[in-house]
Amino acid sequence: MLLRNAEILFNDRVSPELYHMGLLCPEIAARIQPGQFLMVRVQEGFDPLLRRPFAVHRIHHNDPPTSFEMLYRVVGRGTRLLADMQAAGSLNLLGPLGRGFQVPDKDGLVLMVAGGIGIAPLPHLAETLVSSGFRGPFVLWFGGKTAADLVCVKHFKDLGFAVRLVTEDGSEGRQGLVTGHLEQWLSQQDELPEVMYSCGPYPMQRLVAEMAARLGIPSQLSMEALMGCGVGACLSCSLRCRPPKDGQDPHYLNVCQDGPVFAGEEIVWE
Amino acid sequence: MTSDKPVNLAVDLGPLRLKNPVMVASGTFGYGQEYAELVPPERLGAVVVKGISLEPRSGNPPPRIWETCGGMLNSIGLQNVGLRSFLEEKLPWLRPLSVPVIVNLFGNTVEEYRELAAALDGQEGIDGLEINISCPNVKAGGMTFGSDPEMAFQVVSAVKSRTNLPVITKLTPNVTDITIIAKAVEDAGTDILSLINTVAGMAVDVQTRRPRLANVVGGLSGPAIKPIALRMVWQVVQVSKVPVIGLGGIVSVEDALEFLIVGAQAVQVGTANFVNPGITLEIIDGLEDYLRQQGLEDINEIIGTLEVPRGPVGIGE
Repeated sequence: MLLRNAEILFNDRVSPELYHMGLLCPEIAARIQPGQFLMVRVQEGFDPLLRRPFAVHRIHHNDPPTSFEMLYRVVGRGTRLLADMQAAGSLNLLGPLGRGFQVPDKDGLVLMVAGGIGIAPLPHLAETLVSSGFRGPFVLWFGGKTAADLVCVKHFKDLGFAVRLVTEDGSEGRQGLVTGHLEQWLSQQDELPEVMYSCGPYPMQRLVAEMAARLGIPSQLSMEALMGCGVGACLSCSLRCRPPKDGQDPHYLNVCQDGPVFAGEEIVWE
Repeated sequence: MTSDKPVNLAVDLGPLRLKNPVMVASGTFGYGQEYAELVPPERLGAVVVKGISLEPRSGNPPPRIWETCGGMLNSIGLQNVGLRSFLEEKLPWLRPLSVPVIVNLFGNTVEEYRELAAALDGQEGIDGLEINISCPNVKAGGMTFGSDPEMAFQVVSAVKSRTNLPVITKLTPNVTDITIIAKAVEDAGTDILSLINTVAGMAVDVQTRRPRLANVVGGLSGPAIKPIALRMVWQVVQVSKVPVIGLGGIVSVEDALEFLIVGAQAVQVGTANFVNPGITLEIIDGLEDYLRQQGLEDINEIIGTLEVPRGPVGIGE
């Protein structure tokens, strides 16, 4: 965990609500594992007060890595301030934080599922799998409300992924919810995935975890929560999880420190 | 002009001596380990750990946090690992560090406070107790004790009867006259007072018309509450004979200085740790710089030096 100022390399709007930011900070870049996140101070004053958590989207694979990217959606005051920032400006980061994704135990079909901005942490994972010698096959199921949500598809295709798109309004790919089409697709596969990686809204994550459990596939879900500190001190970002021992009541784990990536079977869904 | 002449930051809080007056507030610094990569605990005046109870507590359902203008509402519900895990898993890491460790504690009954005090007394590596009678986020005990002078007296008496450690009592601002509670716990033998805990508050989502916190109400912290905290510390130092630790919304060295000038003998930094984890170290360095700029050598020279102009001032005057 480091506290550093990064230089903003670019901050591009890639769809009406989505921004893509490049950051130069060699010390942090060298430490980031797939699925980890950063706590970003969106301005120097105290209003808005708290840092915002953002997934690391990609690492730039120069050797050693010196820069990385975030993909974020403008949802409130903090992200609006972030969207107004200009290249060459500076951004204060705390990170890398949290427990990220684990690579599969062995080669075989790798399935990734993303809902909306849940795509954010998956490119770093995809690049890591490919560069670590995993041969796949790799499949990404990506759902959004509308076509504008479906960003960085070409990047996954370039990495050798088969990409299946779903939109709620039918403006691109299949129409409906990604989980519905995914379930149908899974039922038709001869080879089951070695692992399902997923990031998206809570109801989607729940359906993915339940699907994985039914088929006996290990799932790794990157969860989201309102956060205060990002390091396990404030205990705000609670996720209801299975108790350490059978027979005990569920307990709360911290998304920031115990996650953000959880095995599907760890979570007790609300 | 500043010189490099050494300055003294050490303060005495009754039986508790601190190498500098900057502590971290309970519940904002975990058990010290969480921020250790960035803030060596040994540089701090003292570490106050997350409040513990006899048994582990799972805390309130989420959402537990909501940001407000210059502040943060929380309703954690005193989630903690419990006495046994604290002693077995958390304290051993803190024990070898040369920093005073203050254990914040709370119970649902007077008897639970008494039991906790007895269990913590004589434990190597604990330098003081902070009695939490002021958390707004639990139904039993908590604030009920802190807003009733008779109950507050009973809790503090119970703890004092079972420990030889210095006892700090942490007060709630959610009362009409905080000096009444301060005097009650002083009569019960508290060695030190700390104030304020969070200010009770709430927020609503107008789209769903639901409260932002699952617990409906929570405690407000952060710079938004600093003027309230400062006013209450000022009120209490005027009637209290025991040392006072000031906290509530401190985010800068200027904020810390305000509390010291008003009469607090030390400060605790809370929510600001989340925003800028290096803030306590910046405040410690900033206090040294301030003394040099003022041509002073000792932090004690500024404590309680508020100059109030003659004439009607303050609350209820």
